[in-house]
Amino acid sequence: MNGLLAVYQKELSMYFRSPIAYFVIAVFLLGTGYFFVYNIFLTGIGTMDQTFQNMGILLVTLVPILTMRLFSGEYSGRTMELLSTLPLQPWQIVLGKYFGAATILVIMTLATCINLIPLFLYGNPEATTILAGYIGFLLMGLACVAIGQFFSSLTQNQIVAALITVPVLLAFWFVGHLQGFQGSAAMRSLFGYLSFAMHFGDFIRGLLRSEAMVFYLVVSAVALTLNTSYLQWRR
Amino acid sequence: MIALESVSKRYGSKTIIHDISFSVEKGEIVGFLGPNGAGKTTTMRMIAGFTTATSGRVTVAGYDMASQNGEAAKKLGYLPEHPPLYDVLEVSSYLRFVAKVKRVPRAGMQREIERVIQACRLEAVVHKEIYKLSKGYRQRVGLAQALLGDPEVLLLDEPTAGLDPGQIQETREVIRSFGENHAVLLSTHILPEVTLICRRVAIINHGRLLAIDSPNGLQQASEKTNQVSLLVSGPADAIRDAIRSIDGVNSVQIRPNGTRGELLSVDCQVDVRDGVEAAIARAVAARWSLHRLERQQPTLENIFLRYVGDSGSNSTGENE
Repeated sequence: MNGLLAVYQKELSMYFRSPIAYFVIAVFLLGTGYFFVYNIFLTGIGTMDQTFQNMGILLVTLVPILTMRLFSGEYSGRTMELLSTLPLQPWQIVLGKYFGAATILVIMTLATCINLIPLFLYGNPEATTILAGYIGFLLMGLACVAIGQFFSSLTQNQIVAALITVPVLLAFWFVGHLQGFQGSAAMRSLFGYLSFAMHFGDFIRGLLRSEAMVFYLVVSAVALTLNTSYLQWRR
Repeated sequence: MIALESVSKRYGSKTIIHDISFSVEKGEIVGFLGPNGAGKTTTMRMIAGFTTATSGRVTVAGYDMASQNGEAAKKLGYLPEHPPLYDVLEVSSYLRFVAKVKRVPRAGMQREIERVIQACRLEAVVHKEIYKLSKGYRQRVGLAQALLGDPEVLLLDEPTAGLDPGQIQETREVIRSFGENHAVLLSTHILPEVTLICRRVAIINHGRLLAIDSPNGLQQASEKTNQVSLLVSGPADAIRDAIRSIDGVNSVQIRPNGTRGELLSVDCQVDVRDGVEAAIARAVAARWSLHRLERQQPTLENIFLRYVGDSGSNSTGENE
């Protein structure tokens, strides 16, 4: 447990000692703020529904920047040789890094709550619906981070890691659109089940469905397990 | 503390390390000597647990690196070929991270970090980010990291690379004092380093262990084939016969001296008995003019070159 904690603290301080965390948080807040203002004042609807959808797309494009250096940076900086010869188990390295990136995700999610102040001051939104939306956003973000971290462990080039992660996450986001082209019901439900956007849609509407929650958690667990076994195999 | 039993490493069909066996005991510094690309780093990585051996057994502090590398890692300090540093961190927070992972008790952690900072002379850069450091400092931060937690086994892959002469001397002192009650394996291609601080030397080339002995032992083994070199002017055949007839001369080689045509270079292989070179000098100087005579002492450098040279020609023979 100490090893995991040490890796976590190291990851977090490395995020804030390089421009990456500031950049990702700043772009995310700028984007979210723009969409919030656009959705509220131009369409005049006092909910977070549309803003959550926009935050989802922003997340899918920004998470790869957050996760690209997690392992690629260790390979190219030759520090993997240190990590894998210190008394650390592969799962401690994987989870320590994952929690580090997840902390940045939580920080940027909490920071968007500033938008809720005018919403509650001048509108009459449903608090429970918004809370459900945030829970869904965090769960989806955790799945994206796990996927990005896994792809980062496959290459020592950070740019390549990001370039693989972006289309994979976009595919998970948009795969629901393929439903319309499918004849068989089985394929339709498969594409629907894999879609990040459709599960997120449930949360945005205020539904905390266990199926959707389990889906994001399973995706995270699979990606982290692949990540750990890959590190073991590399020895 | 470190034991390798017929260890081999293959990548695909290419064998990098061939059947290496040796051990390093507590209180001993063993030098690992070989030209670049000989397999030093690969062997170090197998002992450190960064890669696994394809066959054979590596044990560190009694733990098998194939199955118990987690336990072994607690007993191990390792400085890889490239110091593994996080450039954005300060030296102090980097060392704190390594100390935490190595489970240095919280109460004594600050004292332990200060100890390695002092041993590696890092006082001036403790609060600097690592990317701002010179190559010598980076190397020493890497060494400090390996010394943290006072590990029983220390693996150092070219610890003095990139240091200036003063720093090299300090670093050797650190290693020497550490080696008094720990097991240290140190790879290098700097020969004086080995004679100065190592009790035993392992010579490796093309992934094969060629010799392992004390520097003195290696020297004595090769003194049996001592060489006397002469510069003479005179008839080659007569000189050869005269020298051959002297007791203690094993073989004579004569070739024209490259720079001055009338001179001959004569190399005689002689055995260890005293006075052989004096007898050669008397015999030659009585009839011809002797310009120079020297008995070549077998330095570690000669020994190393002989081993490495031999193995080089052997392996080309195999490939053909």
